[in-house]
Amino acid sequence: MALQPWLWLVVAACDATVGGRARVTIDASGSTFQKAAQEVWADVFRRAHRHVTINYAGGGSGKGRQDFADGTVDFACTDAPFKPAERARVRSEFFYIPTLLGAITVSYHLPGDPALVFSAATLADIFERRIDRWNAPAIANDNPGITLPDLEIVVVRRSDGSGTTENFTRFLAEFSGGAWKRASGSTVAWPTDTRAGYGNGGVARIVKTTVGAIGYLDLSDAKASRLTCAAIENRAGRPIYPDVASVTAAGEGIEIGDDLVFSALAAGNDLAYPITAPSWCMVYAKPLDPVTGGEIAAYFRYVLTDGQALLAEIDFAPLPSSLRTRVLAQIERLAVGTQE
Amino acid sequence: MHASGLSPRSHHADNAFRWTAALAAGLVLVILGLVAATMTARAWPAFSHMGVSFLTSRDWSPADDQYGALAFGFGTLYTSALALALAVPISLGVALFVTQVAPGWAKRPLIYLLDLCAVVPSVVWGLWGMLVLSERFGLGLSFLTAGLILAVMITPIITSLSREVIDTTPSADKEAALALGATRWEMIRATVLPHSRGGLVGAVMLGLGRAMGETIAVALVIGSTHGQITANPFASGNSMPAVIANEWGEADELHRSALIALAVALFALTIVVNLIATWIVRRRSPG
Amino acid sequence: MNAVELHARPSRRAASNLAMTCAMGLAVIVVAIPLFAVISAVVSRGASVVLDGFPDFLVAEIPPISRRAGPGMGPAIVGTLLVTGTATAIAVPLGVLGAVYLHEYGGRGVFARVVRFLAVVMTGVPSIVMGMFVYVMWTLRFGYSAFGGALALACLMLPVVIGSTEQMLRLVSDQLREASYALGASKSRTVLTVVLPAALPGIVSGALLAVARAAGETAPLLFAVGATKTFNLDLMGGANTALPLQIFQASSDLAFPAAEQRAWGAALTLVTLTFLLTIAARLVVARTLRRRSGWKSS
Repeated sequence: MALQPWLWLVVAACDATVGGRARVTIDASGSTFQKAAQEVWADVFRRAHRHVTINYAGGGSGKGRQDFADGTVDFACTDAPFKPAERARVRSEFFYIPTLLGAITVSYHLPGDPALVFSAATLADIFERRIDRWNAPAIANDNPGITLPDLEIVVVRRSDGSGTTENFTRFLAEFSGGAWKRASGSTVAWPTDTRAGYGNGGVARIVKTTVGAIGYLDLSDAKASRLTCAAIENRAGRPIYPDVASVTAAGEGIEIGDDLVFSALAAGNDLAYPITAPSWCMVYAKPLDPVTGGEIAAYFRYVLTDGQALLAEIDFAPLPSSLRTRVLAQIERLAVGTQE
Repeated sequence: MHASGLSPRSHHADNAFRWTAALAAGLVLVILGLVAATMTARAWPAFSHMGVSFLTSRDWSPADDQYGALAFGFGTLYTSALALALAVPISLGVALFVTQVAPGWAKRPLIYLLDLCAVVPSVVWGLWGMLVLSERFGLGLSFLTAGLILAVMITPIITSLSREVIDTTPSADKEAALALGATRWEMIRATVLPHSRGGLVGAVMLGLGRAMGETIAVALVIGSTHGQITANPFASGNSMPAVIANEWGEADELHRSALIALAVALFALTIVVNLIATWIVRRRSPG
Repeated sequence: MNAVELHARPSRRAASNLAMTCAMGLAVIVVAIPLFAVISAVVSRGASVVLDGFPDFLVAEIPPISRRAGPGMGPAIVGTLLVTGTATAIAVPLGVLGAVYLHEYGGRGVFARVVRFLAVVMTGVPSIVMGMFVYVMWTLRFGYSAFGGALALACLMLPVVIGSTEQMLRLVSDQLREASYALGASKSRTVLTVVLPAALPGIVSGALLAVARAAGETAPLLFAVGATKTFNLDLMGGANTALPLQIFQASSDLAFPAAEQRAWGAALTLVTLTFLLTIAARLVVARTLRRRSGWKSS
């Protein structure tokens, strides 16, 4: 009968306890770069802890930082740390907890799916619309021997405030040898004849359905949408293709500050994918409610141990093990804090 | 209006009821006042930071603390103009058809049709615009697609208000025209249109107000491009409410203040349009 | 239009009459096209996911992993009902009371005229402005919740309910009121037992239409309700979701076929809900008018 499942669910939802333990709801928001990973982790965690529900709202890194500063979420995810002015708005002490490394791919849609290579300078010229056709000399230069079609380039970028944008534009600003003229940030003044997608998924959609399109988005969404990703020239001029191995390589030997904030752009060894970015979650040192705080600590403990093994399947790379130990220590400080 | 023999208690009850009702009505004042006050207060930092260039500059880059809303104002006006260009003749045609041409049995179904059109949620129009108009028909995320969607959304409003106005045309006038041998169209031109002109203009302006304020449907199909001021309808741009919806989540203090300032500007704009519309309707229509 | 001109070139006048009549008919067809197009898109793309293993789609949780195929939209439906229901419970009684004041007590007084005028102004407030207002006044203090969303929707519904109710009150014949006073009833008693019941079908119809429009609103909910994928029956506690929100949020996941399917399914559910409310609104009036065709009403 159609009514019975309804009634049961309503009763279950009303029930404030699950299996004898009080229900805990954790609200989070932020980065869509990390979203696929957060969803998988939240799902697996919930199977083991049926009384905990984690709501990850996405919305972009900027929204995450904003919600966290406003105190409307329990934790938030961001691909870029707070700027000093923003940081002042957060009333209480908090920690950055890095959770993964991901690649920002340059994905494109051309007939025949040729495997293309780009240098940072060419990318800067493309995304600032100094190059507007696919068979331009600069692109041919990066790709000797490949016939490029005479199509207009359709540049796709983000419409919402995005950490992915921030990291991508930082890469262009720092490594294109001065070719990138615009500022870098989560919202950039893009040239007017570019298309905008909402979220990493929005960019994926436009690239997927527009011939001649090129856009920047995380590897996980690009792979899931079956987009073709370009290889990017690293500092030595060697083209590196984005995959779990090259992203993991970017984590090797990087400098990590005490607050666990670091950059992975053009980092690691020379097998490393240059446009690699970490992503963090921000958690209050003293959460308002000790029960929720305890569950948050348990969640991140899981994320940083067993959770890391699930990343490769969704095209992210786990944190380097040395970093992992430091992060787990940070999480223990958080767990202690909730017991005071 | 008071009967003799009322006990003091029921007189109290009567008064209490009157006061409760008055308070309920007064809520409108309170809410509107609060909205205006709080929004303006929060928008103030942005207004004072940018001065007049808030309205005259097209450079909107939060990273540089620059908030010039000119291009968004343009986007709002351009898409609304496109929407009106399409919606007005069609709404008028439909309103005239339903009131003057359609046989009695056809009126109710037609009105149902318009009701249903009016109630389709804006997010569904946006989804359809994105996936069908923009992708399947290749119109892209552009001013044109936004204008088309807006036209579809405001037509039911303009039509239903126009219908009401047209129905107030005195039948004596209409019959007189017909008696003189006028064709239906000539009768409409001679009696219905002149009589309803004021109300029709009012209806159109109310539709304009709605088009300017529409957020979600436009945000999904307009392309979210900053600084775009062009006559090319296939270009992608932005509108005031769409920018707010897109950038709200990530905005910091000053950015948020700027977005609220946009909302205040939009609010003021729609109020002005609605006021003019109401004034026109009231002034021109009889009684 | 003198008699001589009327007989000159009759075929041209007849032709232009025909042309204009066709143009008007064409306008009706042009209006019908997008409506049918969107309904057919929603039905054709959404029906499969809604009907697959019915009623799973309506009661299952939203898949935690957006890319994963499968139902459902249960939490969004519950959220929509919760938020819209609460908004209705707030806006309709207050709106009816307000309209009662305006028509029965206020008349042409200054206060009534100002309120009436401002109510018209308020109907034109863009929904996003109301959403921001509720964010500033409520969400920042109390966090995301279904109740915040209900407040925003109630603010949008209030002026509409006041307007349509006042219209209905105007249609109730004064003779009815006077008869009641003559029998010794007080004003409040008259309003409650005579006037409101007489106007009830129109009031209900107007309220249903306001609810239908509110159910489809997205922008205000963005600022007040948050996001969740599980059932949340707690009005005040924690983030919730609603059908329009899910559709809007899905717009960033449209690259994944499963998410797009669910979005269309949610759209179908939402459109069905709003259509049913609208049809109910019209039926209420039609049925009662038929039943009362013996009564006189204005």
